[in-house]
Parts: sequence; structure tokens; C-alpha cells
Amino acid sequence: MALLSKKDTKLITDPLTDNNPITIQVLGICSALAITAELKASIVMSIAVIFVMGFGNVVISLMRNVIPSKIRIIVQLIVVASLVIIVDQVLKAFAYPLSKTLGAFVGLIITNCIIMGRFEAFALANKPWRSFLDGIGNALGYGVILIIVGFFRELLGAGTLLGYQVLGDPITKTGLYAIGYENNGFMLLSPMALIVVGLIIWVQRSRNPALVEEN
Amino acid sequence: MEHLELFFKSVFIDNMVFATFLGMCSYLAVSKKVTTAVGLGVAVIFVLAITVPLNWLLDQYLLQPGALKWLGKEYIDYDLSFLSFIMFIATIATMVQLVEIIVEKFSPSLYNSLGIFLPLIAVNCAILGGSLFMQSREIASLGLAFNYGISSGIGWFLAILAIAAIREKIRYSSVPPALRGLGITFIITGLMGIGFLSFGGMLTGGDEEEKPATKTEAVIKKEDLKEDKKEIAKNTKTIQ
Amino acid sequence: MANTDKNSYTVIFATVMVIVVGSLLAFTAASLKPNIKENERMEKQQNILYAMGINENEEGSINFISEDKVAEVFSTGVTEQIVLEYKDGAIVKEMSRDEFMKANSIEPYLIDVKKQQTRAKEGKSRFLPLFKGMQDNKIVYVAPIRGVGLWDAIWGYVALDKDMVVRGAYFDHKGETPGLGANIKQRYFMDDFYGEKLLTDAGVFKGITVAKGNNDPTNEIKDDYEVDALTGATITGDGVSAMIKKDLKLYLPYFQNLKNKS
Repeated sequence: MALLSKKDTKLITDPLTDNNPITIQVLGICSALAITAELKASIVMSIAVIFVMGFGNVVISLMRNVIPSKIRIIVQLIVVASLVIIVDQVLKAFAYPLSKTLGAFVGLIITNCIIMGRFEAFALANKPWRSFLDGIGNALGYGVILIIVGFFRELLGAGTLLGYQVLGDPITKTGLYAIGYENNGFMLLSPMALIVVGLIIWVQRSRNPALVEEN
Repeated sequence: MEHLELFFKSVFIDNMVFATFLGMCSYLAVSKKVTTAVGLGVAVIFVLAITVPLNWLLDQYLLQPGALKWLGKEYIDYDLSFLSFIMFIATIATMVQLVEIIVEKFSPSLYNSLGIFLPLIAVNCAILGGSLFMQSREIASLGLAFNYGISSGIGWFLAILAIAAIREKIRYSSVPPALRGLGITFIITGLMGIGFLSFGGMLTGGDEEEKPATKTEAVIKKEDLKEDKKEIAKNTKTIQ
Repeated sequence: MANTDKNSYTVIFATVMVIVVGSLLAFTAASLKPNIKENERMEKQQNILYAMGINENEEGSINFISEDKVAEVFSTGVTEQIVLEYKDGAIVKEMSRDEFMKANSIEPYLIDVKKQQTRAKEGKSRFLPLFKGMQDNKIVYVAPIRGVGLWDAIWGYVALDKDMVVRGAYFDHKGETPGLGANIKQRYFMDDFYGEKLLTDAGVFKGITVAKGNNDPTNEIKDDYEVDALTGATITGDGVSAMIKKDLKLYLPYFQNLKNKS
């Protein structure tokens, strides 16, 4: 038997394309806007969310039969928040430079609605292993969009990728800049992230007409 | 005057949706119809109006460094600010759960149309953002905190109302099929955001030359002192 | 299986949850505190040294003095730590490190600027630390500053010479937008401050403005009291201008004194 049954594989691959958390489920937009001005930040955030989603989903799934429905939101939030805070404190104690990089993301992770959304929609009703896969799948789907948006915004906005000047140096006018190319600083502003995501949706739905919305 | 200034600033200049891009998920997902948008908008105003002042009290009397001094002198060195995230979010989650129970009881139709997004108000970053901004901008009094909560709620409400109205009209235009619905909403929001950037200019444009060079150092010092004293007076008032 | 909808069950569950989570958080916070404190202490030393120009920078990147060496370098690099007591626009007392530590049993470089700002707001006196070191055979004075950016706190250390000309700066932030406001931590932004003046020729405090639409993007003109702003980070930039103007101005009487003495 394969490691993952067909049904389980779908849990991971679906969110990457046809059930993407950002472009289809409309979850986790705020963080996608806030951090995609830089490719590096997009990658760091994606990795952090993969961890939190995977483990958070397992914890909630293990507790699903004992959580009283009336206070489930509080319980879910407290689980995420304490997971994130504990990890943050441990990093601060043993990997200080890394924690400085992640520090800005702590708040964004706690309020990332993807995490809460999947807790509500999946982990509360499914077994731990499947919840784990669902968490990883959705986090990957989220990460893919983040990295695409981050790639274009950093490339077109600052002319760099991961901090390296791939298009030449804008001040001494080398590379592309020598023939009159200019960076579009507008790409670095948050509204452009919305427009880039809009364009991604356009491409995605043109390729798969089944996703097109009725009016 | 102070209240009026804060009000306009939070509604227009620091608009939660267009200036800081907070609370986007529910903004995009629940803006298909004006009626649902109004329902969610009111819920957000309500939750913000309660949680911001509540968290202000928590921050003043529990979390800030030195906030525990009302317990006695020996507690003055405690700094519980590492707990602010979890305390704020617990307050918010509690209030949201209360709102959920109330809405379910009195307006089942609204409850059904809000669906998964009512619990998601809890992670609506606009709500936590409101409390965190209140903390980092050091809002001075309970009254101002209440004002801040309500006015940022109204700003969010206006934004979702505007996009819902646009979406109801856009149904009659011929949008490319693949862009219909969500895609065009993203792009419109982006354009609205670019428009709102101009309000940011209002905030910074005026004060560039606030202190003319002709003023002597002594005058400036005196003015600063006056301002400081005013601030001191204000703070002592709130402490009392 | 217990009925999870019952009120009594909900209350019990909530209580147990609060106790478990609370003690877990308190336990982690308490047991990791020494390590975190040590890391923060080293960071402060590294930042102060960085502002003075003592670092292991390679081209374009920021490298602090490494952690195993920082304590030693700090003790020789910072020749003197002094603390000024400031009240109502004047410096009422100047203390050496030993005097300050006797009264407050805390190293001057560990003074929490935020706490001091709160004290000042309450109308009390506040402590202003100042660290002396050598750069190119001249004495430089490093002062900490702190303010608010777009999302949260921003802070930094600025090295000044005796005429209040900037001889190095270090900025950091808690949670500014990556790629935009977070770039105040980039080398090209900090390096722009080097050589900028804080005082007019008449000796009036003017500060440095992070200016948009600056005519001097490569920052060659050093007496325009401006550095070039970062794209898309207006509010963070305004925060940097504000904290420079507000916090460094407090040191003005000390530097005036210094001038009168010489």
C-alpha cells in the first residue's frame, strides 16, 4: 500500500489548485497583502504557517470530542496563540537571530484566518492524520500563492529577488537599467498585491472554467 | 476637539481596510449583497466598540510594565506585556462568541447568511488590529479608546458597504467570465486602495514646516514645555 | 461520553483549560527568561557597538561583533557609560556608571527607554544613558532613541560627535512591513545618516527628516538635514524622523555644556 491513499493525496493536492485557500476559499488575505513585498518574507511566512497549521490541526482534531461547542472559538484561538507564543519564546532563548526574523509574523500567524478556517471546517470533524494532511495541504496552497505574488512584487517593484539585484544596479545603470528600464515602486504598495492576486485568479479560472462563478 | 479629530482620522485617513489592509478576508467574502454586508459591518462596529475599551482597561491595569501598581508597591516592576496577544484575543473571542449566541437567537436568517464568517470575526485582523493599534499608539483615555473602537468600526463598515454596492451594480456589466465574482472584486479593492492612499497625504502634508526657522530656541522650548504640561495634566486626570 | 453542551461542563472545561494553558505559558516564560535576558543583553551591546562603527560588516550586509566576543569588545570599546537625569527641559544631574549602579543596581546600557518615556509623561524625571567610545581617534557619544512606526515600536542607537553630527546609526523595529518599513534595518538606509548634522550653524536643534521627493537620492549633500525616504514606507519614515527629533533633542543641553567647557 502506498504511504498515502488516493483520498489522502487529494487532501494535499486539492488546496494547491482547485480549492486554493486564497483564490477560492478567500482565507488569509491580510497576511498575503502585508508580507509579499519581499520574496524572502513570503517564504518564511509560508514555512511558519505550514508548521502551525499541521500541528494546530492535529491538536484541535485530538480535542474535537471534548471541546464544548459554545466556547470552541476561544479554545481554538487559545490553542493557536499559545502554540505560537511558546515557539516564539523558545526561539528567543535558543535561536535569537531567527526569532528576530520571525518576530514580525507572530501576530499575523495568530490572526491568519486560514488557520481558524480550517480548524472550523475540517479539524473539528476529522481524525488527526487526515487533519494533519489537510493542514499541510492548505498551508502549501497558501504558500504557493504567497511566493508567486512575492516573486512578481519584488522583481517588478525593487528589481531584486531575495535581495540580489537580478536586473542590474539602478543607481549605476547597469544591466536592464542601461537601456532605460525603471523599477515600478508602485508594485511595493499593498493595493498592488490585491491586483496581482486578482490576475492570478483570472489565469486560474481561465484554465479551469469549472471554477468560474455564476453572476 | 480631540475626539472629533480621532474620529475623522480613524474613519478616513487610517481606514482599517484601505490604509492598513486589515480585515480583508471577511471583507471580500461577505460583500456580495448590501444587506449581508450591513449585517457584518454592524457586528464589526459592535465588537470593536466593546473590545477596544475592554482591552484598554486590561492594558492599563494588568499588562503594561508597571500597570500592577494598584496592587501595591512591590508589584510595580512586573511586566506582563508578553501576555497581551493572548489576553486581547481571549477578550475578543469571548465577545464574538457572545455576539454569535445573540445573533443566532434573535436573527436566524442573518446567522445563516453570515455562516462561517461570524466565528471568523474573531480572527478578523481588523478587530485584533484595533486593540494592538490602541496599545502601540498609546491612546490616552477610556473615552478615546471607545471612540477609536467605534470610529474604526465605522470606517470598516463604510468600506464593506461601498464594495457591496459596487458588486451589486457590476453584475450588469460584461466582465470576462474568469474574472467574474472574486477576481474583479480583488482588482476593484486594489483600485479603491490606491485611491485611499491620497488620504494618507492629508495626514503628513500639513506638518512639514510646523516649526518656522524664525522662532528662537527659547520660544520653542517654552511651547514644548506647555505641551508637556498639558500632557502631564491629561495623564494625571486619567490616573485619578 | 459527557454531554459537551451542558453549561457545567463548559465551565469546568474552561477552568481546566485556563489553568493548563496559563501554567504552561508561565512555565515556559519563567524557565526561558535567563536565556532570553542574556540574548537581549548581548543584542544591546552589539547594537551600541554597531552604532559606534565597531562591527564585522561585509559589503552591503550587517554583521555584528560575534556573540562570543561581544562582552569583551564592549568592555574595551565603550570607554565610559554615563547617565543624565533629565527634568523639564534641563539636565539636573550627571552620574557615572558606578554612581548610577549604586542607586539603581542596573547597568546603564540596560535602561529601558520606553519605561523612561512613561516616567517623563507622568511628570517625573527620566534617565538618559549615553555611551562614550572612540572612532577615528575622536570621542563619539551613542544615545538610544525609541518611537512608533506604522504597526508597532521602532528604536535605534545614534552615535554623535561633540558637535552633534551623526557618526553612525542603527535602527530596528518590532513588526514593520517586510520589504517596506522593515527596510529601516537595511544598511543603505542607516548609512545615509552618517555625516548628517542635527544642529544649525547657530546651534539650534533641527533634527533629521526622512524626506520623500528628496533632491539628493544618493545622499551626498550632508547639510540638508534630510535623508532619502524608503519607497512605500511613509509612516515608518515619519516615525524615524520623529524619534530622532524628540529623543536626541533631550541631549542638547549636555552637548551645549560640552562646548562651553572646551
